[in-house]
Amino acid sequence: MSEMRLRVHDADPVRVERIRSRCVAVLERRRREVEAHGSRAAAPRGWLEPAVAVGLCALYLAEAFARALAVFR
Amino acid sequence: MEREIELRLVARLKAGDAAAFEAIYEAFRPRLFSFLARLTRRRDVAEDLLEETWLRLVTRAGDLSDDTRLGPWLFTVARNLFASWCRHRAVDEDRILDFALSWPGLLPRESPFESAARGETERRLEAALARLAPKDREILLLVAGEELSPSEAAAVLGLAPEAVRKRLQRARARLALEMDEEPDLVQEKVG
Repeated sequence: MSEMRLRVHDADPVRVERIRSRCVAVLERRRREVEAHGSRAAAPRGWLEPAVAVGLCALYLAEAFARALAVFR
Repeated sequence: MEREIELRLVARLKAGDAAAFEAIYEAFRPRLFSFLARLTRRRDVAEDLLEETWLRLVTRAGDLSDDTRLGPWLFTVARNLFASWCRHRAVDEDRILDFALSWPGLLPRESPFESAARGETERRLEAALARLAPKDREILLLVAGEELSPSEAAAVLGLAPEAVRKRLQRARARLALEMDEEPDLVQEKVG
């Protein structure tokens, strides 16, 4: 039995293609969902990071301006 | 399929890579279809179960463990779908031989030349397999046909490896008996 060699058959070519396209569509849909989920998760970083940077810059400039004024007073 | 390649394909499939799916599909589809066709002995049912097996793979791809062995995974799903189909249709697996559609006559779409060229041994083997009970047939197809190890076959069938070895031994003995009692040969002897 270890050498049992049976002919390998295949499904109808039309069915083979149908299965392939359905599976690829499922994978594509899942990949898009993952990407969309990823971009939604990344969304807060999209506006939070520039806001923090701008805030720090504003603080730095305000402090520098205040110190400059203090020198001339 | 080499283990390293298999592991890479699993990783890519988990990431939703359609090219990885294509590679797996090409490697396993004919083997899975042959397995299902020999279990069900009906092309239409085998194709339905084949489609469901592949859809299960892609819908659950994200949940696969990194070290998944694709062959045993796919054959487990296919075999479970076959068992569900039998239950759903209230089909006694041991009486599935009564189906009017015969195996292997309807399954292969081969030319007359190919039919003529089919080896006598292969024909006898197919006929003997078709007469076996599905439980015997599935274990022979997995271990002797697909060359799964007894432990892999045990995982597919949900049995202990020792039980698989015993069942395999019984199935081999029954197949040998069936091949000895092949109708044409018996007729030749009687005639």
